Amino acid sequence: MARPAVILVGADKGGVGKTTVSRTLLDYFGAHQTPTRAFDTEWPRGTLKRFHPEQTEVVDVTSVTDQMKIFDTLGSAEAKVTVIDTRAGLLSSTLQALGEIGFIESAKKGQITFAVFHILGSSIASLEEIAETARVIGDANYFLVKNFINNTTFFEWDPATYNAYFKKIKGAEEITIPKLNEMAYEQVELASVPFVSFIGNKSAKGEAASNSFVLRGYVRHWLGNVWSEYDRVKLIDMVSPKVENNVRQVAG
Amino acid sequence: MSFRNSITIVASPRPRVGKTLLARLLTDFYRQENHQVAAFDLNSGEWTLAQFLPQQTTTATIRDINGQMALFDRLVSDDGTTKVIDLGHESFESFFSVAHQIGFVEEARRRSVAVAILFPVTPDQISVEAYRKLCGRFVHATLALVHNELLGPAQHRDKYPLSGATMMRLPALAPGLRKYIETPPFSFTDSNMANAVGIPLDAHIELQRWLRRIYLEFRELDLRILLADLQSAMRARS
Repeated sequence: MARPAVILVGADKGGVGKTTVSRTLLDYFGAHQTPTRAFDTEWPRGTLKRFHPEQTEVVDVTSVTDQMKIFDTLGSAEAKVTVIDTRAGLLSSTLQALGEIGFIESAKKGQITFAVFHILGSSIASLEEIAETARVIGDANYFLVKNFINNTTFFEWDPATYNAYFKKIKGAEEITIPKLNEMAYEQVELASVPFVSFIGNKSAKGEAASNSFVLRGYVRHWLGNVWSEYDRVKLIDMVSPKVENNVRQVAG
Repeated sequence: MSFRNSITIVASPRPRVGKTLLARLLTDFYRQENHQVAAFDLNSGEWTLAQFLPQQTTTATIRDINGQMALFDRLVSDDGTTKVIDLGHESFESFFSVAHQIGFVEEARRRSVAVAILFPVTPDQISVEAYRKLCGRFVHATLALVHNELLGPAQHRDKYPLSGATMMRLPALAPGLRKYIETPPFSFTDSNMANAVGIPLDAHIELQRWLRRIYLEFRELDLRILLADLQSAMRARS
């Protein structure tokens, strides 16, 4: 049996696209028939839950009860992959808590697969987070995600400064989320459905929708590029080594 | 005649190679075959096709997302019409780039609509490269090279190695007859054409003969689309 995997998606500031990345992950694992559950820590009102209501539970990650709900069930839950969408400002404290409950230790021993998707903002402050986060997580699979979804001009950082931080983390990998046409993005937001459903022209109830073919096409192309990034870093092999990585076609 | 709908795109990255004339002829050919035809003019600012066939033609632009939605969503809609696109050289790259990204040809096929691209042949490297790229990007579309004899006798087959054996011909119209068809609005299907624009009888006969030759080429093109469709259906089944 594959060991449980936990993917923590976070950033220490809001508005950098954590939930968007979490949504692409849930779609990606869904396409690979990998049972996945998600926790949305934007308690009490979760954005991720709006898009993936059946898979998502809204939790208060600072409460012990909810921590138990997430981590005590890792071995017993049907879903072998757990995605945690961490609320803005909670990445460091969540990692801290994970350290205290011995979770990070279990990951180091190989009992749990642990990955951090650190979504990068455009300011220099978030670079300093990298060093801070890296110190806490130790040997976890660490992905620095540059999210271009809503931007064309993005990081104003000096590449040398960025690389200095980046190289401090052993085995860290970069993932780039490309830009998606603004109207296409907005329409998916309005539809409140997973990207895959929007592409397949389905409503939240699974009924036929009437989304623009052009917008669906843009989303399909974009999601395909995002998934190529996940393929490139061998994400599916990491969380579920026994599953054949042969899904290339986006629904629709 | 096709037994299902088609979208035919007349395209070249070069100006003045006969695209609009081809689009006019195609539109009128399908009308003569009793199809419901919608033509789209993507020649920003000129709108020559729209001037010649104002009833059938919609002007379109794909510079922004709203224009792209207005055009592509209508193209793939299941409205029972045959569609013809006169793609201006300035929109060539952006049209095919968007079409490729959004999976236009695949979506059309899913809705049982065949896509054909008519590409007037010119010897320049830009066109050769553009055609090669189209072949790679749109494997599910029927691509047909068009030898516009008005541009010269050479077919430039050597420059288009991917073209296969067939090439559609657009015979040159005798110089003395061109003036009759070059004042918009003008339709080749107009039964009253000769009277309307004062074409002498001998010129009219010659014009009809020219038209018949072209329509024969279009029928062959229709058969090629059908054949390509059958072949891919058989491949899918095997």
